[in-house]
Amino acid sequence: MKLKTIAAPIVAALLAATPALADTSGKRIALSNNYAGNTWRQAMLKSWETVTKVAVAQGKVREVSAFTTAENQVTEQAAQIQNLILQGYDAIVLDAASPTALNGSIKAACDAGIVVVSFDGIVTEPCAYRVQVDYKELGARQVEYLATRLPKGGNLLEIRGIAGSSIDDDLHTGIMRGVEKHPQFKIVASVYGDWTQTVAQKAVAGVLPSLPAIDAVVTQGGDGTGAAEAFRVAGRPTPIIILGNRYDELAWWKKQRETNGYTTFSGTIAPGISTLAFWVAQQVLDGKQLPKDVTVPYLTVAQEDIDTVLARTPVGGVANVEYTQADAEKILRDLADAK
Amino acid sequence: MTRCIPLSTGKPWFWSFAAAFGAWGLLVLFLNGRGAEEAITAALAFAAFFVIVGLGQMMVITLGPGNIDLSIPAVITLSGCVAMRVMNGQDAAILPGVLAALACGVAVGGFNNLLIHLLRMPPIIATLSSSFLVQSAAISYGRGLQVQPPQALQDFATSRLYGIPINAIFAVLLAATVGVMLTRTVYGRSVLAVGQNARAAWLAGVHVGLVRCVTYVLCALFASVCGVLLAGFSGGASLDMGQEYLLASIAVVVIGGSSVAGGRANVPGIWGASLFLFLLVSMLNTLGLGAGIRLTLTGLIIIAVITLAGGETSQR
Repeated sequence: MKLKTIAAPIVAALLAATPALADTSGKRIALSNNYAGNTWRQAMLKSWETVTKVAVAQGKVREVSAFTTAENQVTEQAAQIQNLILQGYDAIVLDAASPTALNGSIKAACDAGIVVVSFDGIVTEPCAYRVQVDYKELGARQVEYLATRLPKGGNLLEIRGIAGSSIDDDLHTGIMRGVEKHPQFKIVASVYGDWTQTVAQKAVAGVLPSLPAIDAVVTQGGDGTGAAEAFRVAGRPTPIIILGNRYDELAWWKKQRETNGYTTFSGTIAPGISTLAFWVAQQVLDGKQLPKDVTVPYLTVAQEDIDTVLARTPVGGVANVEYTQADAEKILRDLADAK
Repeated sequence: MTRCIPLSTGKPWFWSFAAAFGAWGLLVLFLNGRGAEEAITAALAFAAFFVIVGLGQMMVITLGPGNIDLSIPAVITLSGCVAMRVMNGQDAAILPGVLAALACGVAVGGFNNLLIHLLRMPPIIATLSSSFLVQSAAISYGRGLQVQPPQALQDFATSRLYGIPINAIFAVLLAATVGVMLTRTVYGRSVLAVGQNARAAWLAGVHVGLVRCVTYVLCALFASVCGVLLAGFSGGASLDMGQEYLLASIAVVVIGGSSVAGGRANVPGIWGASLFLFLLVSMLNTLGLGAGIRLTLTGLIIIAVITLAGGETSQR
């Protein structure tokens, strides 16, 4: 065991010293993205562009392109994948419009010898790789955090995402698990906020009149300041609202912290996960044997980190981490070690 | 002519108010009287946004078969982003910000009309394609910006006058203006005339092209007003802020009793339908039913209201 821990950095150094240059320098990788109309997706595309540009400049791959469909429709993305197959890309990295409906196109891509890596919006087709965070754990973690803040428990308002999506299901399941474990908490209402501030604000304002005092709001990200506005306009005290790393949420948190010492928890999937998916595709093209499911930690922002995170997050963006090839290799190695 | 204008005589708007009242009643019943007033205040504040875009959509739809504006969500987003960018959180820059946003609205409306009139594109295609252009402009201009609105704008948008949300007062005044315009001005009567029979209106000397142009510009202008108010009300502009207003703007027109075939507008109905849509969702949320049942019930209740309102008009 000890030997292994000593040996690992040496192996890593050796791996880094012999880059995959020879093997993937002629490869072409495409991003198939189903939606670009919100903060998170914009940050995701930006990260992809930053990291892949460097990768191409360094000769790690020959060409990287990003394609986004206009209408967030499954049929449109399926057609797009068919086009990418015909264009002869070596790997397709995708944020999928549906976990199941694209499986036919993805199977066709795999059969054509193309490496398919899904992330964020993942697909169930077995031949594809899945890069994702553990949303169930993130849901449970919110309640865990609240249990440390409110040991006596209290009333929770749950803001869900978009009905029917796998992410909404997983986060909700996680939150329910947390509440089961800490029965002193009670979810008194649950509304759908579509991960959008304006929608969340309206939904919360609609149910607030019917609700008793709310101690905390469990959320899915992108809905935190909407909930805060609804409480403020209704003239109610601000509960502990779990946030989702958006710039406006962190800026709001900072302002609250300065005026009344407000404390909360913020965490979500980092948009830079697209860059990890890119490296997974590159590593597979390089001939590495990888597990089909790559789970990475979600990004959290702690009370004391707000200022530094805000400073490096673009206005209107999302707190982010981008992965270099070395980072990706380390994550994949740790994953292999854990197995 | 007057027989065809149900603004003063007919009552298709009655059902939308009845439905809104019913939803509110059920909500209050469930609340045991607690928070009934709060529920109305919230409904007024949020329905106001539906009303503002609904009035524009109503005038466009009234122009006759095929007329519809699908670019409303994109205009809301673009004008919200432009306003927040220009204001940049400074109270002093509120006026230039509002003007810039309104200019965006006028420009998009004019562009829509250009596509429809000069290129002879069907409005549904013209406004859909312009919405792609506008949304892309918003994305590249805003890059997901959520700039905080100036404090004065935020305070104003969420303020209340005698307990009534200020944006609701604004929307009532706007609705009254549109109502008077449709019944008492040459332009308004021309909109109705064009909607009833464009060729007859043309033969009667109505400048059909000009009327259509003004209407599309007004619709986009209202959407941009909504964008600025919404950004002030909800603490900033975001790329998805207009999303839910596409179907909502059409729904309030139809539920409110305006004719989808054009030629008959119904201003009070827009208010009734907007209140109804908000209260319906709030009521179902308060009852705490599952997502599937909520959506199914929403659909069924809307069908029921439209059937009732439609049954009333078909007996004429």
